Amino acid sequence: MLLMTDVSKSYGSGVFALQDVNIHIAPGEFVFVVGPSGAGKSTFIKMLFREEIPTTGSIFVNGVDILKLGEKEIPYMRRQLGIIFQDYRLLPDRTVYENVAFAMQVIEAPYRKIKRTVMNVLDLVGLRRRANSYPNELSGGEQQRIAIARAIVNNPLMVIADEPTGNLDPETSWDIMQIFEEINSTGTTIVMATHDKGIVDAMDKRVIAIEKGCIVRDEKHGVYGYES
Amino acid sequence: MSATKSTGCMVMSLSTKEYFIRETYKSVRRNGFMSFASISTVAVSLLVLGIFLLIFLNTNNLAQYLESQVQVSVYMMDDADEEDLEKAQKELQALPGVEKVTAISKEQALERFKERLGDQAKLLDALGTDNPFPSSFEVQVDSPETIKKIEDKINDIDKVETARFGQEVVEHLIQLTKILRIGGILLVIFLSMGTLFIIANTIRLTVFARRKEVVIMKYVGATDWFIRWPFLLEGMSLGFLGAVIAVILLNSTYSALLSRIYATLAFLPLLPAHPLMTYVTLFLLAAGTGIGALGSYISLRKFLRV
Repeated sequence: MLLMTDVSKSYGSGVFALQDVNIHIAPGEFVFVVGPSGAGKSTFIKMLFREEIPTTGSIFVNGVDILKLGEKEIPYMRRQLGIIFQDYRLLPDRTVYENVAFAMQVIEAPYRKIKRTVMNVLDLVGLRRRANSYPNELSGGEQQRIAIARAIVNNPLMVIADEPTGNLDPETSWDIMQIFEEINSTGTTIVMATHDKGIVDAMDKRVIAIEKGCIVRDEKHGVYGYES
Repeated sequence: MSATKSTGCMVMSLSTKEYFIRETYKSVRRNGFMSFASISTVAVSLLVLGIFLLIFLNTNNLAQYLESQVQVSVYMMDDADEEDLEKAQKELQALPGVEKVTAISKEQALERFKERLGDQAKLLDALGTDNPFPSSFEVQVDSPETIKKIEDKINDIDKVETARFGQEVVEHLIQLTKILRIGGILLVIFLSMGTLFIIANTIRLTVFARRKEVVIMKYVGATDWFIRWPFLLEGMSLGFLGAVIAVILLNSTYSALLSRIYATLAFLPLLPAHPLMTYVTLFLLAAGTGIGALGSYISLRKFLRV
């Protein structure tokens, strides 16, 4: 699903954001990316959808070298990914339904398919009854669930989440993780950067730890491994 | 599955078109004041442009009309008697290139003028029995060049008061159209630049207001053109609406002017409203829409790094 070989990113004066990263993630895996702030987690995540471009190395997503894609091909590559952020990034002037449907309109899906699919996905994240509410009428956890619905509505091969529970209390975070588990159980690969020790330790998934731009740990059934 | 290359298919689905139209409409409303300012600027610019265009086309037409005249009016002195007139007519007919000489008596001249005045012919009653019109000849020649050649000879004929050739007027008019053409080009450049600037600025505000949306669109895989279209449409709508206002004002003004002119200065050969105004209308609508598209495109290139 994801293959990174010898990926480095440096900013001019020999400062490395990432250095010699080699990673392989198989389809259907659930991977946590952990590490102290500023260790390079965000850079790593952003490279997966070509928001950041490495100085050297190559990145294959689903067998395609995404660094060799032309400008015009990037949107189509991103349609295979679902991206989730810590701050939800919802549109406040649109309803829950519209926020999710937006992702389908943008890739020009037919109208009838949009309606059916969006309602199904809202069902999955438990927001069907809030479809006509606006994001700011909902709690943080609910807002993040809208963002998840938006990320998976186009059936991505891989969901990339950057600190999705960073703004949520533990209980709500668990709700979110349950949704992720559900998405993962259908075969969707999940890569999630997180600071949440409780979640990482309890879920018993693959853990990749990044420190000072290098991968220092990659365990099939890992733990968080830092003081939280 | 690989990152599918799209064929760049430009056929939009119905829901996509609807989506664009709805977004455009929302955006124009959201930017109420700037939209209003843009539309007004386009309207004023295109109105000035349109007025100028009409003046130019009419002047051009007038010059051509006068140039094509192959007729010289020869006015006789008041004291010329029958004999003088007959002699003058023969001499005129003998000139090279002259095809036809029509004598117009004092009475005929007065009659013609009365006809031209139409309803206002009563004004002439003030003249009493006096007839201020001289006897004259209308001399038809074979080509406009002939007029220059026989000019002096006509003036040499006995009892000829003046001969009106119209050449100087034509030359002045041609001079005027040249000046108008240069002025017109400069005016077009300045007005277009001003309008472009205003529209580009409006679209820049729109892009700014919707920058979050644009970022999200990029993350979920919208193509660059999908992101650009609503902004381009917005610019084009502003330009088009401005042009519509300009066109309405211009059309009603010109037809009002025409009816005024026909009533009082009927001899002025103004271009009729049809088909002229159809062309001017189409031209202004195209210009407005085009300027709108260009203005947004400039803004998009600068502020929307998609």
